[in-house]
Amino acid sequence: MSSIAGRTAIAGIGTTEFARHIGRGEELTALEAIRAALEDAGLGTGDVDGIFQVEGQKGEPWDVAQRLGVERLRAFSTVGGGGGAACGPVVWAAVAVATGMCEVAIAYRARHRGSMQRPWAGSPARVTGRRAFELPHGLVAPAQQIALTARRYLHESGAPEDCFARVAVVQRDHASRNSRAVFRDPITIDDVLSSRMIAEPLHLLECCPETDGACAVVVTSVERARDLQQPPAVIAGVAQASTKRHSLMTNLHAPDPFEWPAKSAARDLYGMAGLGPQDVDVALLYDMFTPVVLYGLESYGFCKRGEAGHFVAAGSIDGANAKLPLNTHGGNMSEGFLHGFNHVLEGVRQIRGSSTSQVASVDVALVGAAPVVPTSSFLLTK
Amino acid sequence: MSEHSMIEARPLPDITDVAAPFWEATRRHELVVQYCAACNTAQFPPEVSCTECGAPDLTWRPVSGRARLYSWTVAHPPLLPYFAARAPWPVVAVELEEGPRMVSRLIDVPIDDYAFDLPLEVAFEDIDEEISLVVFKRAGG
Repeated sequence: MSSIAGRTAIAGIGTTEFARHIGRGEELTALEAIRAALEDAGLGTGDVDGIFQVEGQKGEPWDVAQRLGVERLRAFSTVGGGGGAACGPVVWAAVAVATGMCEVAIAYRARHRGSMQRPWAGSPARVTGRRAFELPHGLVAPAQQIALTARRYLHESGAPEDCFARVAVVQRDHASRNSRAVFRDPITIDDVLSSRMIAEPLHLLECCPETDGACAVVVTSVERARDLQQPPAVIAGVAQASTKRHSLMTNLHAPDPFEWPAKSAARDLYGMAGLGPQDVDVALLYDMFTPVVLYGLESYGFCKRGEAGHFVAAGSIDGANAKLPLNTHGGNMSEGFLHGFNHVLEGVRQIRGSSTSQVASVDVALVGAAPVVPTSSFLLTK
Repeated sequence: MSEHSMIEARPLPDITDVAAPFWEATRRHELVVQYCAACNTAQFPPEVSCTECGAPDLTWRPVSGRARLYSWTVAHPPLLPYFAARAPWPVVAVELEEGPRMVSRLIDVPIDDYAFDLPLEVAFEDIDEEISLVVFKRAGG
């Protein structure tokens, strides 16, 4: 069976502005981002025959197709897994294009959480399933779930306590050059550590904000992409993963909670692409809370187990010329919380050479969704 | 904006689902977990089959109640109203002697005494006539 490695490419990217309150609906921003992506590629709505989205937004793929005037929608799907689905629509768009189900696929995410209540605030009085064993004890919000593993991580790894804070500082520095970013004022480690405590050991500035906005990309065959107006970002490998006895966010019931789903994804991703972590020039790793970035660094093999905190503390992610440049758009924490779909666009910019924190020579970019839930990821090359 | 729609009371388990035998046991102040009839893996949280080997047959068996502190956090507002009124609110994860880990609370340990692998034993917090939550206290305390 032939692999889909290197057979499809991202040919266009589009985004709305990101804002705390954008002032119009998800249905509208989705279309704005999709039209912008098609324009970027030099294609029109009449070319679209596939639509792939992340769960939890307004409008089904066929609704979006109708609103774009698509004649025949030939492939569509909605990918689940919350932040773990950030790369999923691109993964399935690539599969659909490579297998001939469709020719021009849109992958997109519209997410207006700035204008909604936080999901945990809607917790029910009576809780079913696995969460029935967490909420009554007060483990309610994602920050608390991640904090639980973060404290254990510091204990097991011996990493300095401020290693998490450093991630926020580095990403804010990148965001300071990015006019799309919601937060652009530079911050220091002291600023992070003196910000309000949310869930010990996590402070406010180690948590991403809720924002409104939409992002979209156009996926087509490498051959067609090479005839379009932008340099293609070739999809060199894709992966999805969930693992045995995984439980969302904490992974507490797996034999080893720090064997995150992303570690399984990494194995397939690198295997499909014939690449390894040593080949990656820039990483766009999901960052709804700072510790999750460290979990991503270890899961994708940039660091061994327990070494990411030391790696970050040693300055290895500091700036666009770092040993491993990371989240050069500012990430969910500083650019805006598009559930990681904004990382997809930044991966393409790095391949094109158009980032506001451009890494000098980029041959390979890795985009990874939330590693702590059923996840997805892909590798981009020129 | 969001405060208006939040539940005032402490969120509590729905005790009618697959976990019903667990909650019936805690009401008797017993801690039980599922054991797989095929591979004998101790399983928590409750499921409809063994998540280690996939076999369908599970039995509920008492466990020792001995555990160690695996990790903890302390939650600060904004929180659900019940927890906000009692903040800061510590939450722990413990590892049972039999293997499974559980999210819980410590009832007699000041936060400054929390330590990794602190020996613990099970206790029960009676909420109402139907529900008792599993909590932990210092072993031998």
